[in-house]
Amino acid sequence: MNIVKKEQIPYPYLKKPLSVYTFNNGYKVVLAKKDSQIINISSWIKTGSINENKDNNGVSHFVEHLLFKGTTKYKAGCFDRAMEELGGIINAATWKDYTFYYINIPKEHHKIALEMHSDMIVDALFPKEEIGPEFDPTGKMPEEKRERYVVIEEIKMGEDNNWRKVYKNLNNIMYENHPYKREVIGTKEIIANISQEEIKRYYQTFYSPNNITTIVVGEFDEEEIIELIQKNFKFKDNSNIEKCVCDSKIPELEIKNPKTVYDYADINTGFIMMGALCDSAKNLKETIALDLISTILGDGKSSRLYSELIENPKEPHYYQIDSCHYQFKDGDNFFIEANFDANKKDIVMEELKNHLEKLQNITPEELKKAKKRAKVNFAQESEMVADIADSIGYWATVCNDISLAQKYLNTLETIDCNYLEKIAEKYLSPNKIAVSLLLPKGENNETV
Amino acid sequence: MKQYNKNGINILLKKTPLTPRTSVCLFFRTNKKEKFFGLNSLLARLLLQGTKQYSAKKLALEFEKECIDVTTKAKQDYIKCGSVFLNEDFNLALELIKDLILNSTFEDFEKEVFKLKGEIISDLDSPKFRLTDCFVKNLFKNHPYSSTHTKILNDLDKITKKDVIEAHKQMLEGIKAIVVVGDIKDENKIIEYFSDNFNFMKSNEIKDEVEDIFKNDISKDEVIFLSKNDASQAQILQGWIVDSFNSEMCAKYAVLNNVLGSSGLSSRLFVNLRDKQGLAYTVRSQYETLLHSGIFNMYIGTSPKNIEKSLEGFKIELQKLADIPLDDKELLGAKENISGRLKYFTQNNSQIAAVDGYNFMMNLGLDYNERFMKEIFSITKEDVQQAAKKLLEMPKLITIIAPDKYKIN
Repeated sequence: MNIVKKEQIPYPYLKKPLSVYTFNNGYKVVLAKKDSQIINISSWIKTGSINENKDNNGVSHFVEHLLFKGTTKYKAGCFDRAMEELGGIINAATWKDYTFYYINIPKEHHKIALEMHSDMIVDALFPKEEIGPEFDPTGKMPEEKRERYVVIEEIKMGEDNNWRKVYKNLNNIMYENHPYKREVIGTKEIIANISQEEIKRYYQTFYSPNNITTIVVGEFDEEEIIELIQKNFKFKDNSNIEKCVCDSKIPELEIKNPKTVYDYADINTGFIMMGALCDSAKNLKETIALDLISTILGDGKSSRLYSELIENPKEPHYYQIDSCHYQFKDGDNFFIEANFDANKKDIVMEELKNHLEKLQNITPEELKKAKKRAKVNFAQESEMVADIADSIGYWATVCNDISLAQKYLNTLETIDCNYLEKIAEKYLSPNKIAVSLLLPKGENNETV
Repeated sequence: MKQYNKNGINILLKKTPLTPRTSVCLFFRTNKKEKFFGLNSLLARLLLQGTKQYSAKKLALEFEKECIDVTTKAKQDYIKCGSVFLNEDFNLALELIKDLILNSTFEDFEKEVFKLKGEIISDLDSPKFRLTDCFVKNLFKNHPYSSTHTKILNDLDKITKKDVIEAHKQMLEGIKAIVVVGDIKDENKIIEYFSDNFNFMKSNEIKDEVEDIFKNDISKDEVIFLSKNDASQAQILQGWIVDSFNSEMCAKYAVLNNVLGSSGLSSRLFVNLRDKQGLAYTVRSQYETLLHSGIFNMYIGTSPKNIEKSLEGFKIELQKLADIPLDDKELLGAKENISGRLKYFTQNNSQIAAVDGYNFMMNLGLDYNERFMKEIFSITKEDVQQAAKKLLEMPKLITIIAPDKYKIN
């Protein structure tokens, strides 16, 4: 594996530019210098539920669990124990566009950490005894409950989480066909039945060097890190395997048939999420505009939603409220979420939609405040090695361009109120919004 | 971290060069049982709800337009006003913070009661929240530490604005400290600033009226079952009241906790209940130290059919730690893990201010983290066994939330 390109890319609030290395197999390494007792090592794989189909939904996340289950060199549990015995904090996460594995460890242990981290990324074995036997989740449970069953417990945990229920239902009605429609964690049925071969095939298809970026943040000798990486990241040649088939990924940038979906539970309050589809995270100016709108609408006590509906309402019926903007490769999501007095659901829906309409009138003061928040968010992200790595990982994986982080701040200055209003009209008009409600179980529950 | 006392004001300073944001925390020790559960929480919330100069709306705007993040929170032993802001906004941030501490009007009293009530009802829709609430409430019974959401909900309507004003007065009377962590250029200037402008932070030694409580007030094991018929999982919290940081048992419990269930993916509970038996996604132990008490607990979220198996698993893992000495590697690994976690959780200015300020307020001294780690590294296999045995000998409280048909006695 040879270096074919080395770039220096400035990054907000970091003293030194990032060093970005590209290797001849397409693999990328990003090194960020930061004074810290902790070093963060992570590898970001450009795969998640975006690369799944109806038969293997959840496999990205299942693979994430199984990467901790042993390699040729280290049996299951060795990595976890070795890292944690050295003071490390390790874990991984899977989302729609990416999966990433990380270690935060006292800096003096960076060599062994990098060696073991690379080993799990390039040589995962997926032992059958660790995956556990396939079974029928509606029938008798197997005696051997291994990782397959752990993931099913994770799915069940999500079923007991009110916000996850509302989000799952909303996400499902926002998309027609795109793989984003499915839950990242998958279904109990698929996880109970997916074979070791299918799992391996997915890993071999997507854990290829050109799909991976390794990020190291902290105090280190750059040359030494690059040498260690070249020595340890020995990628296997999987070019001849039969690749996994993905569903078609035609971006959906507008909800075709906005609906309202209802669900019920043994609860005492109401939960609502309203969602809209927007352009890709790579569309920097629009992404920034949506970040700013989200701040104006629902970030903090002085935001429109909090200030008007919780602090100074005509009639109080909200307990929590905010808005958020999720960035994705094939199109962003914008959400408003609230917890409220369930008897007031019709008023709540009307009021929230009114607030979307009012986005046609954004004041210069609101814009100024939101811009400062956007800048300070970068300052905040620069405080800890893990946050720096997460931020770089996002730009490298979702946007495929780390230089956008610095461009974000420059582009931010070009945005005015008119532009925000235009973007709000384009994506956030009430007739473009899908709605998901979770309400207390009752006698006259609606179903549509 | 350096400690100064200027005109009776405790000022703790730590320089972290080239960091863009400064964190300032004001700590106020509470020394007696609240007149009503939730009184200090309500007070802390009302501090952000308007002053003589600014309405609640204007105050929020003043903070947020400059990205001055301010939180006020009542904990078991203190009330904290934490803030973090860009270095250049130091004077503005501190002026606003001074204003809210000294000049809050509490005019939004009724509104804040309504909001707090709503948030509690909303939180209690989460089964995990209900479980934790039930556990803490029943563990501490009538002690001030039993102040949970449901107890606050019961007392909220009894609280008057006068009670809040009285609680505010008490807050300003006791032990206090100011903690500043950031790119401090001139320490003397900062000390002078607080000495000239924050006279109200002068600390007064006052008697602590809260009782110590270092063991469960039950004579035998107690099981409390909460019904949640539409739950997919059962959630179990089992625990004990134990010694806290002033006891020689503290470091022993800390190492036991790490090995048992808080080191991450390699703890005994994680490996044996999750990895080997597939019982759970989340399983862990926790040891929390407070001024007047400590809590040790184990948690699992599992299939309702596995309630008894999980409880048996808790028992087996604890029994093994009582009966079989740790090998040298596992013991050393636990100590290193605690050390690494401490480094990880004291990275940014807000974390450092929170941890060092807490240590100071609990009379532990600014060198507590170093002393604590020394104690941790002196712990022996026998010490860990002793801690596990002590837990096994004490009656335990078990709280479970699950569908009715899985109720156990």
